[in-house]
Formats: sequence, C-alpha cells, structure tokens
Amino acid sequence: MPQSSSTPTAPAVQLPVLLVAEVQDSLLVVVHDLSRLDGLLAHTMVKLMERFTSASANLADPALIDFKELDNVRSTLRAAVTELQFQDMASQLIVHTSKILQGCAYRLASESMGSEDGEAVPFVEEVPERPNPVTQDEMDAGSIELF
Amino acid sequence: MPLILAVDDSPSMRKMVSFTLTGAGYQVVEAVDGQDAFEKAQLQSFDLVLTDQNMPRLDGLGLTRKLRDHPQFKTTPILMLTTESSDLMKQAGRAAGATGWLVKPFDPARLLEVIKKVIR
Repeated sequence: MPQSSSTPTAPAVQLPVLLVAEVQDSLLVVVHDLSRLDGLLAHTMVKLMERFTSASANLADPALIDFKELDNVRSTLRAAVTELQFQDMASQLIVHTSKILQGCAYRLASESMGSEDGEAVPFVEEVPERPNPVTQDEMDAGSIELF
Repeated sequence: MPLILAVDDSPSMRKMVSFTLTGAGYQVVEAVDGQDAFEKAQLQSFDLVLTDQNMPRLDGLGLTRKLRDHPQFKTTPILMLTTESSDLMKQAGRAAGATGWLVKPFDPARLLEVIKKVIR
C-alpha cells in the first residue's frame, strides 16, 4: 500500500474527530481480539501436540507392533500431519492482518487527529507493503518444485 | 542415517517435520530460526537442510545464502518449506542457491519422496 509522502495541512476528507477516534478504537479492539485468537490457537496446538505425541508413542510400543489391526490407526495419524500444520499458517495470517489493521489505526490518528490539534503522533506503525505470505485457502498439500 | 537440519520458528511445524523424518529413520536437529541454524551448521555438517522462509533474525533465503558461502555447504541440498508460493519468491530461492521449494502444508509421504531424491 503506497504511503503518503507528506501529511497535508488539512485532510482531503473532513471527518469528525469523535468518529475517527471510534474507528481507531474499533480497529485496535479487533487487533487485540486477533491476538487473543492467535494465543488460543497456539495453546490448542500445544495440547494437540501433546496428545499426538502420546498417541504416536503408544502406537510405537514394541508390545503393539505385531497388532496389524492398528496399522490403520498409525496410517491415519501420519496423514493428520498435513492438517496439523494449520496453526503455523493461521498464525502468520493473523499476524499479517493485525499489522495492517494496526497500521491503519495509527495512520488514521496521524493523518487526522494528530494534525488537527497540532500534536505529533509519537509512533506511526507502518502498514506492511509486502503481500500476505499465506495465500492458501485450504489445507491440501502444497506444490513441490525442484530447481 | 542421514542427519537433517530442520529450521522453523513454529514449534508445531518443527514437531511435524521431526515426527515425519524420524519416523522414516532420519536423524533430526532442530533450529528455531535462520541464525540458530547457521550457528548449528558451524558445529557439525548436515546431509540436508529443510528450512522455513519467514523467520525472525535470519530468514530462509538469508540462511541459504550464508550456507552457500560456507565451503562445507556448497553442495548440501537445501529445501525451502514455506507458506510463500509466489514465483518471485521461488526465483529468489533459486538465486540464493536453494535446491527446491515446497509450499506448506506438506504431505509426509511426498516430503519423504523429495528428500530421498535429493539427499546424497
């Protein structure tokens, strides 16, 4: 997203300060909620990993190796590895989206309220210019390319 | 058995990669980012490096360039395993010296096939 090179003395679109403040607050609330969502996913993943590791270790018990009936269970567990990568991708998506929202919130303040009362906004978070690294829409295995 | 350096800042991804590789008989050393991986690569050699791209301190492309500058890793297979799927990033990976580009999420069986193909 292109950044403005300079802040105009008067905004191109006049907005009530109260409205700008409310929009900024809402954006920051969403950022906070996304952060909580990221934390919930991370916590869930830790628990899932514990159970996954425990199940795998139990199935690898030498006493159970000869139980061919369990081969299906082992195979299903191995296949779940693809879907269990969801947290890494979701987390990257959340972090990138949060940066954009946070950047919008601070920029809004910088462009409107900061210039209105003549006070400089101490820190302006920049909206990331690079595209979102996560473009996947589903958890199918990704492509492979050997150079 | 071949020794693989698995690099990812996500603990769950490291766990999934290690589970898949150790289950196939490979030995795995984990690193939490590119810098950690580069420091570990100074201490011992690896038969293959499997690295994420977006990581703090040193990303996957930076790690690949640094390893390729190191005599011990001139020909070691380096596979990128990342959410990044743009052609631009893949070209950057190729230019940095990566052996291949795998887009997340990985399928365990396909990952093992690729590793078997490129590892010496």
